[in-house]
Amino acid sequence: MGLKTLLKSGVILDLYLYKNNRGAFISMLLWPYLMLSLMLGMGILFGSPEAFRENIGLQVDPIIYFVASTLITMASLDVMWGVGGNVLFHRWIGTLPYILLSPNKTSLTLVFTYIPRYLLTAFIQIAEFAPLILIIEGPIQGLYKIGILIIAVTVGMLPLLGFSALFASLLLTIKEETNVLSWLNPIILLFSGAFYPAYLLPHWARLISQLLPSTYTIELARTAALIGAPKLANITFLIGILMGIALVYNMLAYLVVDIGEKKAMKAGAI
Amino acid sequence: MFLTRLKAILWLHTLRLWRYKWSFLNMVLSYAAWIFLFILGALLFVPGEYLDIAVKAAFWTIVAWNIISMFSSLIGGWMHFFISLGMVEEHILRGISPFKTVLGRVIPSFSIITASLLFIAAILNGVFKTNVLQVGDPLLLIFAFLLLVVEGLAYGLTIAAISMKTSIPHNMLEILNFVVIGLLMVPAHSLPEVIRVAYLCIPYVAPAHLAKIATSLDMPILFGEALTISIIEALIMSIIALYTIKSSEKWIKKNGVRAIGFW
Repeated sequence: MGLKTLLKSGVILDLYLYKNNRGAFISMLLWPYLMLSLMLGMGILFGSPEAFRENIGLQVDPIIYFVASTLITMASLDVMWGVGGNVLFHRWIGTLPYILLSPNKTSLTLVFTYIPRYLLTAFIQIAEFAPLILIIEGPIQGLYKIGILIIAVTVGMLPLLGFSALFASLLLTIKEETNVLSWLNPIILLFSGAFYPAYLLPHWARLISQLLPSTYTIELARTAALIGAPKLANITFLIGILMGIALVYNMLAYLVVDIGEKKAMKAGAI
Repeated sequence: MFLTRLKAILWLHTLRLWRYKWSFLNMVLSYAAWIFLFILGALLFVPGEYLDIAVKAAFWTIVAWNIISMFSSLIGGWMHFFISLGMVEEHILRGISPFKTVLGRVIPSFSIITASLLFIAAILNGVFKTNVLQVGDPLLLIFAFLLLVVEGLAYGLTIAAISMKTSIPHNMLEILNFVVIGLLMVPAHSLPEVIRVAYLCIPYVAPAHLAKIATSLDMPILFGEALTISIIEALIMSIIALYTIKSSEKWIKKNGVRAIGFW
């Protein structure tokens, strides 16, 4: 069974998932705008965009800032639940032993069957926000910023996949998996600077945020919020960091998932 | 007999709360983390000198929303689990309403709300050097939250009863909860005078307005109107819940449980 077959199975699974769960599909379309409205609504009710720029210390558009934040928050959650949580899903429906027994490595199966879903969901969400960005920024700047967001969700996905596969290996070996994943996700987002920039966090929190791949993905996406055209050097620098982290996390995942898998099989945890 | 049944229900939910202690801790932690994440984002808009007022306003709005969403999701949502176990039929055969057992979910709901809010208050007080728990009128605040609890409970039981007969899309309930938080945030004094009373008539808004007056976060306008509307609304919602429960029980005895619940 090649990687092409794994990707194909992922695509078919997703298409049928949306076809058979229309309610979930509609709510997936509504969620990003609800999150954005909540943040902007609360913010504008309690303060002002001028105070926002002063607090951030950058000339940014608050709407695009939160569009980028919401998009990456949703994408990061999607990857963490999609790869990490997939182990739980397969365990619950009883298909985890088949995945472990299949000729491909578990980490590869988890990652490659998930990639189509991630790309589909991320691009649907970008398409949803695209009209808003084009209205605020105008056609040329808007397209440029949509391009940055596309790069952020695709390049940013690479280290997150490895990071989440590491999560998956942890979930293979521990009990109370859902209880770990549920609170760990918002805490990771908090340290990554999902809505509140990581550079404004206390020093000790910044040290943690530097280790998280989502921090750089969020930073990259947020360059789209800068008023005017963002500098290309900043974008390429962040892409470089993401590629480097992707290499480290994916290599680690490749090694560690095997250990987690063996441990789980030995303990009869599957 | 009544006391024995009551004791059994209370024992069941207390024991479950203890046995699922990791789940309880997880809910407290994850609620606190999510809320903190959103509050931090919203506070980016606030000038430094108004931060303590904004933190307090955000905190109490979220408390109100938490009560509503917790009672609807933990009580209403538990019906799916209860139906899946086949416990509805068991309870009916033994002459006890399954809704009375579901009502016992008040214990975990209340425990999670209290623990998570105290945790969030501690974090906010520590980070923003303020005291979000310092309120102007604690008695009015307790009364306002009691009314919110009654309304939230009535709503939770109504959807639980409806879910016996037809499916309830869980995602849509979550979306509805988001709409509610949006409504709760709007201060009554910022609205044109002609629509203020109409605004208070929206479920949950009047008790939330009373809570805002108690915490000195909104002007003490329309106090009498908000109080009257809250009490009438709580009564109407309770009557609707009781009627839906009775009608669902009658329907189940005639047609059986459709085992749909939430999805």
